[in-house]
Amino acid sequence: MDITTPVSPEQIHSLKIYDKIRITGNIYAGRDAVLPKIVKLYEENRLTEKGLTLQGAVVFHTAVSVAGIGPTSSNKLEIESSILPLSEAGVKIHLGKGSLSRQTVEALKKNGAIFAVTPPISALLTAKMRKQRVAAFPEEGIEAFYELEVVEFPAIVAIAHGRSIFEKSEA
Amino acid sequence: MGNITYEEIIEKVADTVVRASTTFTPDQERAYRVCLAKETDPNACWVIEGLLENAKQAKEMKLPLCDDTGIPHVVIELGSEAQLPMAFLPAVEKGIAEGLRRLPGRPMGVVGNDVERITQSAGLSARSEDVAMAPIQLKNVAGDKIRLTVIMMGGGPELRGKTLRVFHKHSFEVVMDAMVEWAKDAVAKLGCQPVTLAFGVGRSNLEAASLALDAMKDGNFDVQSEIEKEITDRVNQTGVGPLGLGGRTSVLATFVKVGPQRASGFRVISLRTGCCVDPRRASATF
Repeated sequence: MDITTPVSPEQIHSLKIYDKIRITGNIYAGRDAVLPKIVKLYEENRLTEKGLTLQGAVVFHTAVSVAGIGPTSSNKLEIESSILPLSEAGVKIHLGKGSLSRQTVEALKKNGAIFAVTPPISALLTAKMRKQRVAAFPEEGIEAFYELEVVEFPAIVAIAHGRSIFEKSEA
Repeated sequence: MGNITYEEIIEKVADTVVRASTTFTPDQERAYRVCLAKETDPNACWVIEGLLENAKQAKEMKLPLCDDTGIPHVVIELGSEAQLPMAFLPAVEKGIAEGLRRLPGRPMGVVGNDVERITQSAGLSARSEDVAMAPIQLKNVAGDKIRLTVIMMGGGPELRGKTLRVFHKHSFEVVMDAMVEWAKDAVAKLGCQPVTLAFGVGRSNLEAASLALDAMKDGNFDVQSEIEKEITDRVNQTGVGPLGLGGRTSVLATFVKVGPQRASGFRVISLRTGCCVDPRRASATF
């Protein structure tokens, strides 16, 4: 299914695990260093100060550098712990890789958000990026909060509506 | 070996960094093609086809296979009849930096004092070449050549790696079971499947880790020992599959090095749960 950002609740409702998606439009990118700072902005109601709109947003767990882009492990503590508050703030798709806990599966369900995974095919993914700009916290360098414009960015839905592709293998 | 100059060493090492970071080895590509032929799950095939296409694009365009270009690890095999050129190690260090600059590697050198580097509070260097290489491993081999291997080691596999003692009860099965259990747990969580497992079994934590690095240097996707095959097969039974989507291939291959052992009731095992582009390796001979 082709998804254009911002993502609507109806689009999320229609997706199920193992669905292949292609995302086009502006998405955010952040990882370990910056996501806790974005969470803090949300908790302090200061997202608009930085010009950030998370309603219907996609957050891709990646660094952005001259070496390109590619998913980092979303089950790292600082990344996975951002998924609940950022879903509450309006993020609809968290994009990364690796299995997430049952607690996170429930948090996604409660807030009408999903988790999708994409392979670390950086040479191909980077070619799908048309523009990039630092959206917040430039001092974090490659780990700053970026806004990327992407075209037909490939992913597979891994967690949606309380179901996770990872739970069979971890049982 | 001839009279190689300082500049020629730098050039050769830089080229080795770029090759290691942008190219699948022929045996690695063959292993992926075999795995694709065996897979029946369409999602698993989608991932493997993507990895092969990514490798093709990376090789043709000289782009990093993965944006986590990794920490350069260098193994030097010094022939017993070879003579190290003057300033060989400084030239290797410069060559690694030059390779990272050309690649370009991800600028992820953490700056600052001890506390600042641990907390990452003083930020990162903006220069790719400021990612310092790991300490060089030096090996004594026969012959009159010097062989240098560069292995680029990304962060995901480190997150799911482990080096620890196992009370082995003088049983091979206990050690084997530990390796399989560690790998099952790590493979389920990694996110970059199919993995290539690298194990070292030694007398100390440092020696076991060094043996695991050796396994990455020498491991051959085409030639798997009985031990390696058994680990691969047992972990593949979990059905985790490429990217965790399910399928037959969670592990592409396993590389194991068993070193000298201690007269004791424990063995030290070191595991690197190599991601789907591991081992990113290339060699040069002087």
